Amino acid sequence: MPGFDFSNYNRNAALHARGVPLPKATSTGTTIVGCIFDGGVGIAADTRATSGPIVADKNCEKLHYISPNIWCAGAGTAADTEFTTALISSQLELHSLSTGRKPRVVTCMTMLKQHLFRYQGHIGAYLVVAGVDPTGTHLFTVHAHGSTDKLPYVTMGSGSLAAMSVFESQWQPSLNRDQAVKLCADAIEAGIWNDLGSGSNVDVAIITADKTTLRRNYIKPNERTAKLRSYVFPKGTTAVLNEKIIPKGDLGKFISVEELTEEGGDKMEVDT
Amino acid sequence: MAAMFSQNPLMNGPNYSVNDAPRVNAPEGAREHRFDPYTDNGGSTLAIAGADFTIMAGDTRLTSGYSINSRHHPKLFKIGGTTADQKDATIVLSVVGFAADGEALKERLDAICKMYRYRHGKPMSVKACAQRLSTILYQKRFFPYYAYAILGGLDEEGKGAVYSYDPVGSYEREQCRAGGAAASLIMPFLDNQVNFKNQYIPNSGEGHALQERERRPLTRTEVETLVKDAFDGAVERHIEVGDGLQMMAITRHGIEEVFLPLKKD
Amino acid sequence: MDRLKKGEVNMAVTFKDGVILGADSRTTTGAYIANRVTDKLTQVHDTIWCCRSGSAADTQAVADIVKYQLELFAMMNGKPPTTQTAGAIFQEICYSNKDRLSAGLIIAGWDERHGGQVYSIPLGGSLHKQPYSIGGSGSTYIYGYCDANWREGMEEAEAVSFVKEALKEAIKWDGSSGGVIRMVVLTAKGADRHLYLPDTDYKVRHQ
Repeated sequence: MPGFDFSNYNRNAALHARGVPLPKATSTGTTIVGCIFDGGVGIAADTRATSGPIVADKNCEKLHYISPNIWCAGAGTAADTEFTTALISSQLELHSLSTGRKPRVVTCMTMLKQHLFRYQGHIGAYLVVAGVDPTGTHLFTVHAHGSTDKLPYVTMGSGSLAAMSVFESQWQPSLNRDQAVKLCADAIEAGIWNDLGSGSNVDVAIITADKTTLRRNYIKPNERTAKLRSYVFPKGTTAVLNEKIIPKGDLGKFISVEELTEEGGDKMEVDT
Repeated sequence: MAAMFSQNPLMNGPNYSVNDAPRVNAPEGAREHRFDPYTDNGGSTLAIAGADFTIMAGDTRLTSGYSINSRHHPKLFKIGGTTADQKDATIVLSVVGFAADGEALKERLDAICKMYRYRHGKPMSVKACAQRLSTILYQKRFFPYYAYAILGGLDEEGKGAVYSYDPVGSYEREQCRAGGAAASLIMPFLDNQVNFKNQYIPNSGEGHALQERERRPLTRTEVETLVKDAFDGAVERHIEVGDGLQMMAITRHGIEEVFLPLKKD
Repeated sequence: MDRLKKGEVNMAVTFKDGVILGADSRTTTGAYIANRVTDKLTQVHDTIWCCRSGSAADTQAVADIVKYQLELFAMMNGKPPTTQTAGAIFQEICYSNKDRLSAGLIIAGWDERHGGQVYSIPLGGSLHKQPYSIGGSGSTYIYGYCDANWREGMEEAEAVSFVKEALKEAIKWDGSSGGVIRMVVLTAKGADRHLYLPDTDYKVRHQ
């Protein structure tokens, strides 16, 4: 049966009722933004992923590919943003192949909202959808419950208030490409410094009618400082409690071994 | 107001936790509301005792939820000087947890140490101060100071002394201690680098019979290096630690204090 | 997390030549304004529109379904649907999913048979035909105003002014209403959009 597997639902609900905490999902307590400019649209994201107060990933990718001309920035539950965008990307490519037309941003946004609405917010994906298609430049936000907004500049995630303060004070109706990229990067930086859920680097994607440019780690304002001394241990520092050596010839006792023939197929590369 | 979609543990409740577990016997949708006087203001502290010195350190970030309330809020306090500027103090108290309780605890202990000095004409020993701090904490056994305290100084023999506490006054003298948000990240590092735990002398025996690396007192520069590296590491992996590092060195010549920058994201 | 709510004010009023819909533009999550220029007036057919209030996700989903149904209706029957038909389809969805939806809707439209009409569908999914209707959290502040100032068969300019003044009052008193005032005038000539900004004290018509 396709879709989600609910076979552990009753067991987990019973455990939960007895006070056993459910496993903590990695959330991208995040800052993501998007901004339309003359001739295209830009989206940006920070690169921190958290699990509670612990940084789970210092340089993760929150800018997701949908189609060559449509990209998505994701906040919320990391797994949900990844799988949802991958699913819609796949469906949109099949749709594009069967209609023989380029995918449209509204189509993508509608598919996302209908998918998320069906799951009533249980799929925790908060997305900024941006792209350029034959009908023009578009920028949307899609919330986990399935509502959408269409605006010239948008922010989402835990750092959305910090980022929005930059837009609300610096945005203007007409922006060129460089101004828009700078504005988006500044908004993300506001999130990086002022929101604990956001941090590390800035990723930017710029979409115009003729091409998409992904600037991974566009700004790196948080390089790790060098350690003040070496922490290399001398060999043999760790106690070896027991040791067992199995000669290659005896491997057949534990697993089935098949010798590869020289001719036919490439020779396997072996590290020496 | 905190962030819109923050998975902020304080304002929106944790994503998944026991707090969300439905209460048995509670009517549908019923929720218990009550006054909660505590806030976790994050941050971390650290203290290491040397042969003739004690190094204490703490970051200077003050948080609530996903917000930064201050980037320069000290967690280390000189205790029991004769004047307000604490120029002649010999003891340092570090507090982490709920900042308001930490501040109140510091004020209480400082006032008591000052009274002691006035009445006895000599400063309090760290040993006495440590016992008194335990008493202060236990007096509020059923409405505790939500603060993890560490007291540092030099003992009667001039050796470095570190006393660590739980919020209700259980305490113990130790060689080193990390407290607060990143304690679980820093403490294993300290065990390994200060007390040489899990380090064995290569080829000194077979299996369990291996000889442990012999402990030796660390120099002040070695300790300061460890402290800085410990905090740089904690900043990388804990969101509530950052902005600045406050470090105090207690020696027989007095207390030296420095502030160093940490990452601000 | 708080889901997106449109704590708001909106209304629809019949007048001599048709019907006017009006709404504020605020969408909130808790105390944060997620969108300050929301368009809560949604087109479901050429001259049938609705005012959405309650959950943003729910009302958008319902409006999208009805929009599809009405387009299908027009193609199958070779003529545009009436406002009553639109109202009935809205009601069908709102009533049969009443335990899953938090949607308060006002449907207003102009059709050849009946001219301007207003239907309201409150939370339970009942359908009420009314000469005018107000909804949303801010509407509680303007029941008195509307009752005192609404008249049967107003001229277009009078009706626009009535709607605008009522919404201004609701925005003034209700914290979760605000932003710009949007209006749609539905007559035999089709749909005409109005926009009034707080910058000019809602006096100047833009667009």
